[in-house]
Amino acid sequence: MELLAQIVTLFQERGSWFLGLVGAHIALALSAIIMASAIGLALGILISEKEGLAPAVLGVCNVLYTIPSISLLGILIPFTGIGDRTAIIALTIYGVMPMVRNTYAGIKGVDADILEAARGMGSTKAQLLLRIKLPLAAGVIMAGVRNMVVMVIAVTGIASFVGAGGLGVAIYRGITIYNPAMTAAGSLLIALLALVSDLLLGRLERHFRKRGSL
Amino acid sequence: MEALALEHVVKSYGGHRVLDDISISVDKGDFVTVIGRSGCGKTTLLKTVNGLVKPECGRVTVAGKDIAAQDEVALRRSIGYAIQSVGLFPHMSVEENIAYVPTISKLDGWTKRERGEKVASLLELVGLEASIATRQPRELSGGQKQRVGIARALAGDPQLLLMDEPFGAVDEITRELLQEQILKIHESRGTTILFVTHDMAEAFRLATRCLVLDQGRVAQYDRPSRIISDPASPFVRELVEKRRRLEPRA
Repeated sequence: MELLAQIVTLFQERGSWFLGLVGAHIALALSAIIMASAIGLALGILISEKEGLAPAVLGVCNVLYTIPSISLLGILIPFTGIGDRTAIIALTIYGVMPMVRNTYAGIKGVDADILEAARGMGSTKAQLLLRIKLPLAAGVIMAGVRNMVVMVIAVTGIASFVGAGGLGVAIYRGITIYNPAMTAAGSLLIALLALVSDLLLGRLERHFRKRGSL
Repeated sequence: MEALALEHVVKSYGGHRVLDDISISVDKGDFVTVIGRSGCGKTTLLKTVNGLVKPECGRVTVAGKDIAAQDEVALRRSIGYAIQSVGLFPHMSVEENIAYVPTISKLDGWTKRERGEKVASLLELVGLEASIATRQPRELSGGQKQRVGIARALAGDPQLLLMDEPFGAVDEITRELLQEQILKIHESRGTTILFVTHDMAEAFRLATRCLVLDQGRVAQYDRPSRIISDPASPFVRELVEKRRRLEPRA
């Protein structure tokens, strides 16, 4: 209870500082989310069309995904230095995996009869992809986006270890000056951001899933 | 005039000949039903016509032209295609489903405004209310789905219609209604139809000519009345006899 009271006081006293951190956190996470979505979607489509590439691409994504986040940030420093850029690259690498996996699974999961009907009616490859496969895979792809967004928002909290901004700054500072309330406050806000995103994206996912079901 | 011809068509899967030297000729306006046991190559034969299955030997011609030398996409758009599982697109409304071929091929007279009227008249043709156009496929009954599937196959005003057990998943009464409807459509439009079924009664009722397949070969290809009066092989006779045994005694 005491911790909670301290956190409230902290928010009251340093409200604008936290607000700035929240803004920076969202900006960082959003950049990575956009890049990971674009790259992941493109790769997912590629391996669903060129099946032979699937094991290799999924394998590489899997390996990258298993590197602990803090060590991935460390590995990148010699190449990209410290700061936001390194953080965004690392976060993007993390985010790509769930996107590729779900895009691929979503497209592969489209009913074979529906695809054959669309093909038999004279759809070009592009029409098949844009009008049939992607809309029908949208529910599964959205599940991947949701998964990825929550993860990226959480992992962004570690980005301050390589000098990037965001709520990780509060967490890190709380640790170094021994102010547990500050660390908790930063964590709380990250959890809140993740929860709200999850809720909103969950609605979107349900909408797409319903639309794609017979 | 010849609407469709298969010449010495061969297709095998894993060393097994599903289509074994099939040659048939279909005249314009013919209603050909294809019948045989499951796995006798009926569906495969149908799919060689729109290029979904590529024969390893032989030639398929549609309206006198070899389909191997044609643009596959254009060919398929000119041929209506309806399948047993219907394959309606779940994310599109009934109207969007029916307008699919005209939309992807940017057909004249199918702008958004004209679309509603055309869809309404196609729905009427298959015996559905025009008000159904705004519904999603998941809100339809099995029979309604089949009808929408047929309306969709007719939307591009095809000269040739391929139907793969299109009435397979509906009850007996609905099936009879659908059979009447397709006969009417055939008469009024003069469309050439290739229709796969495993139901003998249906095959004889609809066909101007009936193609009996036996293990990938043509067992007989003739008018239904001739097939009944003059079966070409023991296999065909057995099929016909089975049908007769089903007739009520009184």
